[in-house]
Amino acid sequence: MASFKKTQIRSLPKIGQKVTADTLYWRKLNFPVTVKEFGPIDYIDVMPIEPYFIAVSSAAKVQIYNPITHQVHRHFTRFKEAAYGASIRSDGKLVVAGCDEGHIKLFDIGSKSLLRIFKGHKGPVHRCKFTADNVHVVSFSDDKSVALWDLPSETEIIKFSEHSDYVRAGCVSSISSDLFLSGSFDHTVKLYDARSPTGSTISVDHGSPVESVLMYPGNSIFVSVGGTELRVWDMLAGGRLLARVSQHHKTITCLHLASDGKRLVTGGLDRHAKIYDVQSYQVVHTLDFPSPVLSLGITPDDFTVVAGMANGLISMQHRQTPAEARALIPKQSLKDQKKSQTTYRFRLNADFRNVNRTFNPATDVEVATKNDNSLVSRYDMFLRKFQYSKALDTVLGKYIRKKKPAITVGVMHELIRRNGLKSALAGRDDSSLSIILTFLARNINDPSHSKIIIQVANTLLDVYENSCLTPQSEKLFLHLQEHVNREVEYMKHLMEIEGMLHILLASTTTQTRRGPVNIGQGPPVKVMLPSAAAAANATMVYNVG
Amino acid sequence: MANKKARGPDKAKTNTDNIVVKKQEDAPDIVKQPPVFTDDSRYLCIASGRQVGIYSIQSGDKVHCLKKHSFDIIGLGIKEENVLYSCDTSGDVIEWDIKDGKLLKKTSVAVDGMKKFCSFYYPGNGMFLLSTPSKNTNGSSLWIVNSTSEREIFSEDIRKEPQSVAFGCDQGNGSLVIGALNYQCNGVLVKDMNSGAEKKHMTDKRKFTCIALHKEKLIMATGDISGRILLWHDFVNQIRPVKTVYHWHTLAVSSVCFSSEGEYLYSGGSEKVMVKWRLEGKHRQFLPRMGSTIKFIVNAPDNICVATSHSDNAIRIIDSTNKINQAIFGGLIKHDPIRGLEDGESKKESVMPTGLVFDPRTQGIFFNSQAGFLQLFDPLRGSMIFNMDIANRNVLTDERNTIIGNAEVLRVAVSPTGEWLATLEVWSNMSAGYHDMNLKFWRYDAVQANYELNTDVTMPHHDRITSLAFQPGLLGTEYPCLVSIGRDLKFKIWRLVDDTDIYRQKESWTCDVAGDFRKMMPTAASFSEDGSLLAIAFQDTVTLWDPMTINLNTTLSHNLIEESIELMEFGRDQCFRYLVCASKSSLFAWDVISKGLVWKVGKLRSPIRCLVPDPKSSYMAVVLQNSEVFVFAPSSSKPVHTITNVKSSEPIAALFVPRPNPLANSPEWLVNSRLLIVDDQQEFYSVDDNSVCGFDEKLTTPISHIDSLPWTPFSAIKAQKQISAAKQIVPVIHQTNGIKGYKSVQSLLETSTSTLPPMSRICNSFMIDLMIKHDTKLMTVKADSENGATNDLPTLMNGHIESKMPALKEEATQQKLLTLDCQWITKN
Repeated sequence: MASFKKTQIRSLPKIGQKVTADTLYWRKLNFPVTVKEFGPIDYIDVMPIEPYFIAVSSAAKVQIYNPITHQVHRHFTRFKEAAYGASIRSDGKLVVAGCDEGHIKLFDIGSKSLLRIFKGHKGPVHRCKFTADNVHVVSFSDDKSVALWDLPSETEIIKFSEHSDYVRAGCVSSISSDLFLSGSFDHTVKLYDARSPTGSTISVDHGSPVESVLMYPGNSIFVSVGGTELRVWDMLAGGRLLARVSQHHKTITCLHLASDGKRLVTGGLDRHAKIYDVQSYQVVHTLDFPSPVLSLGITPDDFTVVAGMANGLISMQHRQTPAEARALIPKQSLKDQKKSQTTYRFRLNADFRNVNRTFNPATDVEVATKNDNSLVSRYDMFLRKFQYSKALDTVLGKYIRKKKPAITVGVMHELIRRNGLKSALAGRDDSSLSIILTFLARNINDPSHSKIIIQVANTLLDVYENSCLTPQSEKLFLHLQEHVNREVEYMKHLMEIEGMLHILLASTTTQTRRGPVNIGQGPPVKVMLPSAAAAANATMVYNVG
Repeated sequence: MANKKARGPDKAKTNTDNIVVKKQEDAPDIVKQPPVFTDDSRYLCIASGRQVGIYSIQSGDKVHCLKKHSFDIIGLGIKEENVLYSCDTSGDVIEWDIKDGKLLKKTSVAVDGMKKFCSFYYPGNGMFLLSTPSKNTNGSSLWIVNSTSEREIFSEDIRKEPQSVAFGCDQGNGSLVIGALNYQCNGVLVKDMNSGAEKKHMTDKRKFTCIALHKEKLIMATGDISGRILLWHDFVNQIRPVKTVYHWHTLAVSSVCFSSEGEYLYSGGSEKVMVKWRLEGKHRQFLPRMGSTIKFIVNAPDNICVATSHSDNAIRIIDSTNKINQAIFGGLIKHDPIRGLEDGESKKESVMPTGLVFDPRTQGIFFNSQAGFLQLFDPLRGSMIFNMDIANRNVLTDERNTIIGNAEVLRVAVSPTGEWLATLEVWSNMSAGYHDMNLKFWRYDAVQANYELNTDVTMPHHDRITSLAFQPGLLGTEYPCLVSIGRDLKFKIWRLVDDTDIYRQKESWTCDVAGDFRKMMPTAASFSEDGSLLAIAFQDTVTLWDPMTINLNTTLSHNLIEESIELMEFGRDQCFRYLVCASKSSLFAWDVISKGLVWKVGKLRSPIRCLVPDPKSSYMAVVLQNSEVFVFAPSSSKPVHTITNVKSSEPIAALFVPRPNPLANSPEWLVNSRLLIVDDQQEFYSVDDNSVCGFDEKLTTPISHIDSLPWTPFSAIKAQKQISAAKQIVPVIHQTNGIKGYKSVQSLLETSTSTLPPMSRICNSFMIDLMIKHDTKLMTVKADSENGATNDLPTLMNGHIESKMPALKEEATQQKLLTLDCQWITKN
């Protein structure tokens, strides 16, 4: 009548990275092409229009890379000491860079000629940017000042000296030519309006030296990074803190927008780049790099991801084209080919096979179950024939018991339900008994399986209680006992710690709590008496406090 | 409240005599008697209760329904082509024309001393076989009755079951052999009617369970409790006939049947497997996983198909290629009682552990079907809507000496909108001390018209969950909430949470709070009608909680209450403030606002089985174990109506089922709903007004009316009107006890009197704090139309009166209202 239902295998969902649309998207990056430079990579800027050239500032030069060929397209070496923060104009024709001697140099990418030198800063200039109108440059200098320069006349228009430490981060608004942000090592981020020369309009405290700042295209929100924190500020509300995200465990050094402004990428000294959703600020994916990341660049089409590292490596990663993806998984492509070769008739038949045949209008009161009989596993076949020992043998094979213990436990569970566990375990020889015992000892600590494993172990003890065992099996039984004892010991320790925590929690929440109920998930209400050790520890804590 | 109390019983007295208890015949038991094939093998005649259904084998549909018997039918027989005999317990034999379903002849075989019959067979030649129950044993006496009403006793010690008598062996000479199984002395009695030769065969100690004789050949098959089938050859003449053993079954064989050529033998039992034996060579074929225990197997005369009757109230028709061709369901599926439960569990836990659960979406009732299944039954049309596999496990059958349990659905709860279904399935093996428990949350998918599994919680509590309840009154806007109580002394609140994920696709249920109370066993849980208060009974103490914060509001206990509370329900409608609790032998009500015991009725004649509130009125019904039913309003202990004439054996569950149209001119508690009661035989009884005739006619009229409307412009207009006239759901909001305006009262009391501003200044804001913030517009309209006397009060005053404080309606002046309100709050 009804078809045989497969044995239910209960496996807990894996904790860790889930496969989401984002992980799949970012996983499609190819193996990186790396280029070694002489010094750490200070800054990477991407040309906002095709062909998306990449400006890399490191040591005493600025190089423009072609993202497709990975070759240097242009390089500018007219710097006495280190060059910093080269940035390309939005039309892709000019590049501006700061340098150690405090000058800002403007180059033409086409002719490689030095067009302007803006002099006036007394310290190194680490960041400089073109404003939205393309005829001004903003510079952020170590002399604690921020200056706005006029391109044609090569003169300084305005200078703000509000910071009390180096200004190492800055950015300009993409829609207004008068707004720009600066982030400094004095922990503050300031917003300036060139139309109000009196001073900054907004000043917020980041809490640690600011390494990079970024303004969203809509001009309503800006982001600052520094220390291990990312902070999001509301510009329209006068610098209200919207979010604090701390996902890196070392200093965050760079910030970039990706996927049309829907994702935010941060790179840090912990050698990771984290990709966030800009609405919830949750990490959707993490990219790993071989050494601390100092700078990041992502082309507007997400095709190339460039990262500059502290040891002078530049890693350039491309997104896979569909052809490449197919070439990487030859098996699947073969299958696809076969499928495309099958004739229309056969495919039609295949479709018919999938139609659920058991459906019958007269009996449709019964819910039609999924009729997927295509693959009946071996253990299900034996269970169907009531051959319990064989079913258990099947799932105690090396591969299943080691790689997929959930299947073994699932079949054991089914045997318990069918009252067939005793007969399946009885009458085993030395070798198969040792396999079972090792399996039990290995998995008895696993909380997701322990309930069933304990039941199996009890039954096993019942079955072999009165039989004569070889020394080898005896040893294994003792081994299992040792595992159990260790687990019990461990649980005791945990409970002691739980007791300590309870005391601490109780002392902090007694004033606010009403009624005898514990609110929140956590351990349910359990009045636990602390052990002697726990009590001693707790008083110690109190003394310290 | 006071005038309500006075009005209720008065009105009820008008015509209580009309209230009757009817056995619901819409869902009959079709597997009590073996079905009979017609001679041309095209129809199957099935006896169910007092009627005979003629079903087409091709389509499985009912062709005729023969209803003339006034007692339960005990047997069917085919007289000749298209003529059917049926006999009922009173001995009335009716001849029917199968083709057009007409009654041909009605005779009675009952004479003095033979009034009650228990089975009927028709071997042919105008001869009937009738059995009457024995006086002192559980067996029966078999009589041979000729057409001339001559009676001859065959044996006085025959088993009662229909499969224990067989006839046949016409070896071309018109002879007839009758075989029957003895009840007491464990043997087979055979008699050749022509020669009069009579033999009694016995084997070993194994008891026979069924017998079959071939129509023409002289062979006989018997099955016994060990699962062995014996084939007897030449058993009429020989004292020690030759026997062949066919043994595959491990459990008792419940039915055997020969194919018409005598080449095959069909057998079945509780393994749920039909075995087809080839008699030569012992080759056998199996048809496994038939769904439930096979009770009878009947072969069609021309070998086209076999019909099997199953204990789940279904008849399945199997064609010659061993495939199930058709299935005929008798309305609803019967649940095999759970065996191997702990001692002290009531019968309800075994027969129908879920009880009856109303589904607001379909107006149907959820209850158990086969093990691990749940069915939705439509009480208005008397048909099953669907049968749902909850456990999704193979149904396991017993072994010879061990009971192997299956996963059973023990508790069901439906969310107030019907969107969510929570089921608890439990599998336990008491001998191994091991049990599994899964709490599953299903969401109704309106597009696919199916329930989808959303969350599966393994071991939600450490011990058996005893009750599940969804929070009502949420109107689907907030995230729903479920409370579960278990024997591990805990109660848990489950909430639907958005699994924080940027993709926003996942919603699942998770345990929000787990709590306990003084290490006492929680025994019952109930939400107030608007969902603002959760009551959990811990043995004899009732605790009231705020469902949002899970703060303990109040604990209610009293000296008079010593027994553990087993059932608890909040009152509805006007009686919202009463919490009715039932312990084993007493019934009492708490007032959750004044926090006092209102009334108590103790020392009932029999233990309380069910306590059911009527969703459409403020009344409740209590059903006792001895089938007495009391209908009462929670505000008073005096029953509005008492019913003692329910003829059910032992009620296990009850439910108020809303009517599609209100019934005029009937007691108030019957206007909008009727009471359904289920007994331990899983028969449905309906407590209803006598004027209501068959359920079919009443309901089908409006539906067919809509269906038969031709598609005209006018009908389109009509449909639109119906939509706009739909009654809007108005949120039911009560005054929450003691919390409302708590702050302002507190501040008033805490401020020293010298610093208080004049009373006239603070009065207004103080009053507003005490009000429930209703949509003021709605409230004014309602109040104006209803009560002209209160027009001079401010708008919010009207709103206050509307919100279910009828006692205050008389007080027209603002001053009085204020003092009253203050008293009421400070009392808490």
